[in-house]
Order: sequence, then structure tokens, then C-alpha cells
Amino acid sequence: MSSITQFFSSSEHVIFFVLALGAISGAVFMITLSKLVHMILSLAVTFLSLAGLYVLLNAEFVAFAQVLIYAGAVTILMMFGIMLTKHEDAEDKAKRPRHRMLLGVSITLLFAVLFLAIQQLSLPAQDALQADNNTEAIGEQLFTLHVIPFELVSLLLTVAFIGSIIVAKKEAE
Amino acid sequence: MRLQASDLFYLMPELSLLMAAVLLTVLDLILPESTSRKRFGWIAAAGVLVSGAFVVWFMFDIRGNSAEYIVLLAQSYRIDQFANSFKLFMLAGTLLVLLMSMGSLKKEGVEHRGEYYYLMLPATIGGMIMASSADLITLFIGLELLSITSYILVGIRKKHLHANEAAFKYVVLGGIATAFILYGMSFLYGLSGSTNLAHINDALQGMDPSWTAIVYISFILILAGLAFKIAAAPFHAWAPDVYQGAATPVAAYLAVVSKAAGIAMLLRIAYNAYYDASSGTQPIDDPMFAMIAVIAAAAMIIGNTAALRQTNVKRLLALSAVANSGYLLVPVSLQLSPAHASNFAEIYFYFVAYLLMNIGAFAVLAAVSHVKGQSGLDSFAGLYYRAPFTAVAMLLFILSLAGIPISAGFVGKFYILTGAVQMQAYWLAAVMILTSVISYYYYFRIVRQMFLKTDSSAEKRITLPIPLAAVIWFCAVSTVVLGIFPQWLLRPLADLFQVFGDLFII
Repeated sequence: MSSITQFFSSSEHVIFFVLALGAISGAVFMITLSKLVHMILSLAVTFLSLAGLYVLLNAEFVAFAQVLIYAGAVTILMMFGIMLTKHEDAEDKAKRPRHRMLLGVSITLLFAVLFLAIQQLSLPAQDALQADNNTEAIGEQLFTLHVIPFELVSLLLTVAFIGSIIVAKKEAE
Repeated sequence: MRLQASDLFYLMPELSLLMAAVLLTVLDLILPESTSRKRFGWIAAAGVLVSGAFVVWFMFDIRGNSAEYIVLLAQSYRIDQFANSFKLFMLAGTLLVLLMSMGSLKKEGVEHRGEYYYLMLPATIGGMIMASSADLITLFIGLELLSITSYILVGIRKKHLHANEAAFKYVVLGGIATAFILYGMSFLYGLSGSTNLAHINDALQGMDPSWTAIVYISFILILAGLAFKIAAAPFHAWAPDVYQGAATPVAAYLAVVSKAAGIAMLLRIAYNAYYDASSGTQPIDDPMFAMIAVIAAAAMIIGNTAALRQTNVKRLLALSAVANSGYLLVPVSLQLSPAHASNFAEIYFYFVAYLLMNIGAFAVLAAVSHVKGQSGLDSFAGLYYRAPFTAVAMLLFILSLAGIPISAGFVGKFYILTGAVQMQAYWLAAVMILTSVISYYYYFRIVRQMFLKTDSSAEKRITLPIPLAAVIWFCAVSTVVLGIFPQWLLRPLADLFQVFGDLFII
């Protein structure tokens, strides 16, 4: 009991708790809700909570990228996708009780394994990274040490772009 | 640490493919709709040839300078004989697939032929990067470049129901596999604080005993994801559907080039990040290699038995590709020892044999199935009477796939088998022999169709487009030549490849 009060005495811990709860509950609601719009909104909650966690870790740049790309672009894109296409709200799920039970068991097992493994882990204490200018540091790394994967990503995006045009464009009959 | 302009020279194999792709993209935009895109295949093939020439140059260069490996940006990109030989293999595969496409794309119903040619080149770049990097980030981007391009290539026949289904399945399942790999990699980064495989290995060699569980989890996640990418059982369920839905040349590409890239990446990670991992004094990498052995056995058993019931040749070849992943994983799972250090030569020789017989078989299938517009087993009915030479070539491929003597496939399998026996992995050798015998049944069903059945409905003889015929004949002749003179490939391989420096990064 005392350890719990100790945990919540630090404001950083309280914020972490709230954000983690938001991220997890958003993900759970995303799976369980049945209306598409609700699903996307709960996904946005997860994305924003994750961005908050990044801020907590002094990774402001990643947090902003998370808000811009995931909470902004991805969510909005999905909204547009729903609005522009025909879809059936709240579709009935095929009920396969045995299948679902197996899934439940294996997910519980996976959770147990990961939980125990992480519990067991003891990492050596490391100095916290200097975080005053992490945007600059990321930019420098991108254009020096990781310039090859960076250029490859631009090729990847081009390919994805061409591919989506092929798939989406209307053919002349 | 930065990339100098002079270092770009070392990236020439990838850059020449990229230049060909850009040239084709621009040409595709400029040329009017009515112009045939068939010549695009030749431009793409020229790009592949130039790239291959650079790779061969680097090969001789490294050998001449007595193992002067070229390392750029802290192992983010490295040129060693491991990378070079896998690159050469993937380029050869791509070239054959391109030639095969030129003869068959139209009949396969691929309408976006321009796009098809310039998407195949970035896919190969992705595969080449997977073979020539020792950094998790670069490896991952290479993998994604290959995967995403493959999804598009599978789905490029928009009006085929099967292709739509295949592309969708492939995207969803492939995305999940990628997520597994990334999750596993994130543990490695978290533990070691580096994405460089050599640094990760340093961290794992003297790790804290409390890390054991998480290291195993990361390995299992990465192995599961890569096993999906190379279609090894039990992660193979997508393969029959995707191969069936994809155009025949794309299926051949997935079976050969994607598989080589996946195995190359698995070798790099298993042998450079996890090898000799030990907690305190306890080595913990043995169970990891045992896991690879289990996947190899599962792939051989499931692939070969599931193929027994197939009547669709494309699905049959997909399941045979699953079984072949199993054979290829056997030498990966046998660790190196002073008594047995030829793992790489075994893998590479079998890969070459596999390239020849598999691309050959897919090329014959492409030639045959057009005539009847499907790929059922009966499309081979009476092939001997309609196209005797093609039937003989197909017979050679089947002998090689089944592993009958005087074929490259036999030598490759035998070589892997000897390796397994040398390392006293008798159970693995037994599984390999038994499943090979099982595979005779379904391979020889095709032979029976070709030679014993007569097909009254299709009397007319099959004439092959020249590029397709060239591919079939090249593969058939090389299969026999390598079967009789395996030392022509084995000796240069032994000359070329050194375990330290090539397989292990130093």
C-alpha cells in the first residue's frame, strides 16, 4: 500500500499513469466498439496519449511527429475514407466461439510471457540523455549516420505512391 | 561519420537499378498510351545487367585486395562477399523473371505493364539492401521496400478476383509479420542501445542473466516475422493463395528473390547479433538455432504433405517452395564448428539450384497455362505431344525439384544432407529424406500428366515467345550442367567466401 502512495506522490508518475491508461483504453475501445467513427476516435485517444508519453520521455520531436502524422494525418485520412466509401455500420461479427477462446488463451499466454520477461529484466542505470535539442540531434543523425536508410525511405514512399495510384485510378474501359 | 561523394561509387549496384527505374518512370509518362511498353523490359534488364557488372567488379576487387571490406556509415552498408554473392543471385533471379515477363505479361492479364517493370527494380534494391547491411534500421527499410513493392506487384492485376484477394491477404498478413520483426528489433535496441549488429552482439555476449527471457522473446519475434517472409511453415498459410493470385512471373519472383533476401537477413541477424549470446557463463544461443531447426522441419513436413492434395499447379509450386524453405533453413540452423563450416556454400548452392528449377518450372507454367487460361494440373495434359521440348525441360525441372541424381537439385540436397549428418543432426536429416520421398508423389503426378495423358481438346502445338523459351532453356541446361559438374560452382564459392569477415562482420 505504501509503495502505491509513494508511486503517486510524484507528479510525473501520475501523468504517466493517466497517459498509459488513455493509451491502453483507447486501444481496447478501438477493438470492441462497433461503429467505425467511434473506433477511429478511440484510436486518436491512443495516439495522443502516446504523444504525451513521448513528451514525458523528453522526446519532443517524436511527440510532435506523432501528433502531426498519427493523430492528424492518419486519423483524418481514415475519416475521409469512411465518408467517401460505402460501408455498413456495425457489421455483425461471425461468431466462432472456439476460435475466440483459443485466441483468448494465446493472448493471455503472450501477455504472461512478456510481463514476466519484462519484470525479470534489470537494466544497468544509464545517464539520462541531454534533451535540450533533440530535434537538431535527430536531423544530424538522419543526414549523416543514417543517410542511406533515409534515402531508401524516399524511394519507398515513391514506390508506395505509384502503387496507390495503380490501385486507385479509374480505368478507361 | 558521413557519406562522401566518393562513397556513392560503392552504392552503384543499387543506384544503377534506381536510375533504370527513374528512366522508365519518365518514359512511361512521356510516351503516348498507344506505344507498347514491351521494350521497357529490355531497359529494366539492361539496368540489372549493369548492376550485376558492378557487383562482379566489387567481388574481384575485394578478393584482389585480400579481404578489404568496404564499410560505410558504421556498418549501415557493407560490401563483403556474403552481400555480393546474394546480390548477384537476386539480380540473376530478377533478370530471368524480367525475361519471363516479356513473353507472358500480356496473356497473364497485367495491364499496367510499364509500372510492372519499374516496380520490380525497387523491389530488388530492397532485397539487395537486406543482404548488404549490418544495421537494424537499414535492414528493416530494405525489408519494407521489398515487401511493399511485392504487395503492389501481386495486386497489379486489378480485375482478377483472385489477385485482389491475394494482394489483400498479403498486405494484411505481411504487415503483421513486419510488426513482429520490428517489435523484436525494439527489444534488441532497448537492451544494447544500438542498432548496429556488432554492438548488439557485444552487448549480448556478456549479458546480465536477467536479460535471457527478453532476448529469447526478441529472437522468436524476429524469427517468426522472417519465417513469414520466406514462407516457412507454420507461417506459410498465405503462400498458396498469393502465388495463385499473382501473375506467374510475380510468383516466381516471390519464390526466388524474396526468399533469398529473407534468408540473407536471417543469416545476418542470427549469426551477427545472436551468435554466442551468453548470460554470465551460460551460452544461450543453442536453443535459438534449435528453433530454426524446428521451423525447418515443420516447413519440410507441412509443405510436402500439403502439396499432395493440390490440383492447381501454382498452389503446388507454392507449397513446394514452402518445403524448399525448410531445406534452406537446415544449414542455417546448423551452427558453425571447426568440423563443419560450409553452411554458406550449402545454402548458396541449393539457392542456385532452386533458382534454376523454380524459375524454369514457373516459366513452363506461364507458357502452358496461357493456352488454356488456367493453371490446373490438367493444363499439362499431353504436353509431350503438343510441345515435346518444353515437356522435356519441365521433366528436368521436376527431377531437380524432387532431387533425383544428375540434377542440380540432387547435388544441393545431398550437400545439405551431408552437412546435417556431419553436425550429427540426424533427426533433421531423416526428416529431409522422408519428406523428399513424399514429394516424389506430387511431382510425378505432373510428369504423368505430361507424358501419359493425351488431351483431345487442345490439339494445337504450343509456340513459345522467344524470351520465355530462352529462360526455359537456360534453366534446363544449367540444371543439368550443375548436376554433372557441381564443382564449377562449389570451387569458386569455397575460394570466395570466408567465414570471418563475410558471414561474421568484423
